[in-house]
Amino acid sequence: MSSIGIVGEAGRENSFVLLQIGHRRVALPAAQVAELAPPVRLHTFPHKTPLLAGVIVRRGRIVPVIDTEPVLGGKSPLSHRFYLIAHREIGGANELGAIPVNGECELANGEVQPPAMDRPAYVAGTLAVGEDSVDVLNLDAFSTHSSAEASR
Amino acid sequence: MTSATRLGEEANAGAQASRRGRRSETVVLFVVANQMFAVAADSVHEIRSTDSIAGAANEIDHPELPKVRHTIERSGHTYYVVNACMHFGLPVTRPSLVMILRRFRAALLVDRIDRMAEISGVYPLPHAFMGDERRWYRGLAYLDDSVIPVVEPRGFLTPQEFQRLDLAQKEAARREAEAAVQA
Repeated sequence: MSSIGIVGEAGRENSFVLLQIGHRRVALPAAQVAELAPPVRLHTFPHKTPLLAGVIVRRGRIVPVIDTEPVLGGKSPLSHRFYLIAHREIGGANELGAIPVNGECELANGEVQPPAMDRPAYVAGTLAVGEDSVDVLNLDAFSTHSSAEASR
Repeated sequence: MTSATRLGEEANAGAQASRRGRRSETVVLFVVANQMFAVAADSVHEIRSTDSIAGAANEIDHPELPKVRHTIERSGHTYYVVNACMHFGLPVTRPSLVMILRRFRAALLVDRIDRMAEISGVYPLPHAFMGDERRWYRGLAYLDDSVIPVVEPRGFLTPQEFQRLDLAQKEAARREAEAAVQA
């Protein structure tokens, strides 16, 4: 699926982008998705924020890259095929964040069910896709997700 | 117009708006443990080799601040020498230069100076960065296809750390004076 295909459908309610991150299939509300970007250079520098791999430069903006590996497993952020760039709300500000995606992305429609009590904060709910049930990510929660929780 | 085009235009408009808020400046690019950083050129008072100031350096021991092991005297002021590797949590190297900061009683041990450069502005650090780096960096620069953190000179030592170092410094001076009297 092309990036235009994803973005063009992004306005639909109950519309989700299914992603393959590591070995996990997860979903993200399509309305949050800005674009699917090629695997441009990841710039890294010292910092102390967990679950951040570095930044990429996209359309003249510096976009932080979320390191999903400790939470969702999979390979390092350096080995992926795309960056999925999505809107996040952090500290009352709206900014873009990128997730390394290493598989195909596709659109799915459905109703989100609330997450089970024991699910981590980054799971906003579950989405039934065929016979599967995939976690819907809450990207905003990644910023506050502690390393301890990541290892659960 | 497709949504993709609209989003692209919005992104470009946002990028242009953020560019308007920036102004160009001259920076010194320096390297610590193979990581490049930038500091505003007008924040740097002088750069000396570690060998050249070895005689003017005094040891200071503060167990809670292992990144500061020495002080140097310049123009009647005591500067605390911060090991940049330890400050940024990088592998410790053998620094060859001391960058003495202006308007601030701190100096920085670095591996080498890369060059001076003109940057078109400093991008704010994205809000996603929430750790000590918010104190360490003024923002990010984009230069020669690389994103380089622009350090905040005041971020090397907090006012509380200065206070503790000043106390340790006074205590060391007192002990030194007592030892001299006994000798």
